[in-house]
Amino acid sequence: MKKFDTLSTRLKIAKKKANKNSFTNNKKNASSLGAALKLSTEMVAAVFVGSIIGFILDNWFDSKPWLTIIFFFVGATAGILNVFRTAKLMQKNND
Amino acid sequence: MSTNPMHQFNVYRIGPEISLGNVDISFTNASLFMIISALAIISVFFVGTKRKTIVPTKIQLLTELSYTFVSKMISDTAGSKAKPYFPFIFSLFMFVLFCNMLGMLPYSFTVTSHIIVTFALAAVVFIGVTIIGFANHGVGYLKLFIPSGVPVVLLPLIVIIEIISYLARPVSLSVRLFANMMAGHTMLKVFGGFVISLGIIGGWLPLSFTVALTGLEILIAFLQAYVFAILTCIYLSDALNLNH
Repeated sequence: MKKFDTLSTRLKIAKKKANKNSFTNNKKNASSLGAALKLSTEMVAAVFVGSIIGFILDNWFDSKPWLTIIFFFVGATAGILNVFRTAKLMQKNND
Repeated sequence: MSTNPMHQFNVYRIGPEISLGNVDISFTNASLFMIISALAIISVFFVGTKRKTIVPTKIQLLTELSYTFVSKMISDTAGSKAKPYFPFIFSLFMFVLFCNMLGMLPYSFTVTSHIIVTFALAAVVFIGVTIIGFANHGVGYLKLFIPSGVPVVLLPLIVIIEIISYLARPVSLSVRLFANMMAGHTMLKVFGGFVISLGIIGGWLPLSFTVALTGLEILIAFLQAYVFAILTCIYLSDALNLNH
């Protein structure tokens, strides 16, 4: 009988270990990798778009380099906002 | 074979030069691989849906799984209102996935590693979503740029920031896919070059790296197609439900 008990506890431990390395865990890793890739480009893209808009407006109003500088920072703000929003969305999806 | 890691991204003409006005529309290796991936999708789904058995064959299972995968993704992120757009998102997902996966085959060309291709896809999504938004809400769609509860003093600044963040969508969508594919393939080629230059004695370490990276690249190929599709769903949900 005692032998049987040890077997059942050993089985339990083995099952727990197997659960730990299961597919769901792998999937979580993959999706967090995707999240990391998603957030980084979000920031860069907004800064890029902001600077381009500033550059175009500079050419319009003949005010080099001021609008480019201002819109660079506005773009950075938009980027932070985008990153924040994406992070919030991901958190909502994880729950 | 060139040892230059960027050589694999060269676009060259296949067949005669065709030009329409000043635009060169010759058939290139990029067009060839786009056609190959489109044909591959069509043939997989043709074979998969031809004989509908209750106990599905492997290929039928594949098509059914991909259908439910995309369908669930749309209903989870954009809600039931987005159901009519299923064909578009499904074809977008499948096209990006097949282009990425075909790029993983040796001697093939990765279409999605060119920013013009990914930007064209993202621009279609962006323009389409904007049109859908205005069609559904009229001028009210502009409310997307005015978050609720903002003091009037800050409004001009906030609106500019919101417009930039809206315009950044296609850029981030296209740059993400393009950068991931290009960086991955360049890295694979660089490590492959190390194997040759280190020879039979030292080449085993970079070779094992290459094998591991190939696995990672296949994961990224799938993941980027998924991210592309899911972001399209999110933008669509913004246009349909007008929520932030």
